[in-house]
Amino acid sequence: MSDTLTYPDVVNWAVPLFIAAILAELVWIVIKGRGGRYETRDALTSLLLGAGNVAEGIVLGFVAYGFFMVLWEITPLDLGHSVWVIALCFVLDDLRYYWVHRFGHRIRWVWASHVNHHSSQHYNLTTALRQTWTGTFTFMMAVRAPLILLGFHPAMVLFVGGLNLIYQFWIHTEAIGRLPRWVEAVMNTPSHHRVHHGRNPRYLDCNYAGVFIIWDKMFGTFVPELEREKVDYGLVHNLGTFNPLRVAFHEWIGIWRDATQPGLTWRERLMYCVMPPGWSHDNSRGTSEAIKARYLATHPEEAGTPGLPRPTAHNP
Amino acid sequence: MPLSILLPMVVLGIAGIAVLLHVLGLSRRATLSDAAAARAAWLREFPEDAPTQVILCRNHSAALIETAQGRGVVWPMGADTTARYLRGARVRRRKAGLTLDLPDYTAPRIRLTLSPDEAASWCALLESRV
Repeated sequence: MSDTLTYPDVVNWAVPLFIAAILAELVWIVIKGRGGRYETRDALTSLLLGAGNVAEGIVLGFVAYGFFMVLWEITPLDLGHSVWVIALCFVLDDLRYYWVHRFGHRIRWVWASHVNHHSSQHYNLTTALRQTWTGTFTFMMAVRAPLILLGFHPAMVLFVGGLNLIYQFWIHTEAIGRLPRWVEAVMNTPSHHRVHHGRNPRYLDCNYAGVFIIWDKMFGTFVPELEREKVDYGLVHNLGTFNPLRVAFHEWIGIWRDATQPGLTWRERLMYCVMPPGWSHDNSRGTSEAIKARYLATHPEEAGTPGLPRPTAHNP
Repeated sequence: MPLSILLPMVVLGIAGIAVLLHVLGLSRRATLSDAAAARAAWLREFPEDAPTQVILCRNHSAALIETAQGRGVVWPMGADTTARYLRGARVRRRKAGLTLDLPDYTAPRIRLTLSPDEAASWCALLESRV
């Protein structure tokens, strides 16, 4: 079984591309006066979080890689490294990304890591680089285990994961409107991903795709960008700081404070870690479902429109 | 990519972009054009708790909000705004206005730029009913 397969660290090699594309988007916005917004401190925070993410990969990358290599030793399967195997690995890893991303919005422990990516009120190419510093601690590396056990080499899995991340960079822009219909039907695009970054009730918890939007359509989480409802970017409760340390760790602090409140049962403490963001033992907060329901209470005519539930017997 | 190349590129890239944005005038803070804008900014964060009173500061950089659930503040976050309730806030005078220290990890300190007399009146107001 081959264990010396190597691929380029594509994310690091893409750094010059990231810088050039940010400059190009900025020039476009300044010259055209449309296509997005930039603000110094917001962009600086995003870039520092991106740099921290690269540093975290250098410092803690061995944890995931070590785990993958143990699995690689265990598995009797080896699919080799032909172009077709790499292509298949890319598609299956994108399915893996969909579920990790969905968990990232529905399990607070994982959301604590992912939230900083959504913490900007802007949506430009620097937002793409606003990445987690704490991904290792979510243990979401486990979702990649089936790929390795199926015989995809760990280096290949990490390589296609890097390509996936690079693909997602360019969709963080308002400078591109809608792409041709077939592209919008199959691929994740700026339009689809703008919706994912929305804090509007209808746009919460949807469009988790990395590269192929088909996963959202298959699993019922697709919401199209509506002309009549502009995306409002950011968090349900926007941050009041640009400090990268606070942005990177605030939800972990929130979990700690919630789970260590006096007077809770052990089950309630656990629920603060694993239930969706907004869950609370006394219902004093609101999950995305509650936010959508409250929105529908004042906008009943919107029930059943994209991203908002239809009335049911339980919720007339 | 070797760290000896990656590190300088990242440092120079981040610094260069930040300087460029500042030179292009993109460091301007948001302002609240009127009380209606302050009210809208509050409702953007707390849509279920409508303001009953809005006190916009003279330079339009922030507003005190009174609601049925308590008092809050709206202030600029770069080119945008955010808002918080002022439960547990500590109010301090400073040369250029007021500092509000909140027991909130995501908004620990809010610096309000106010004229001296406005700072005095806001301080008295906040200390009386925070």
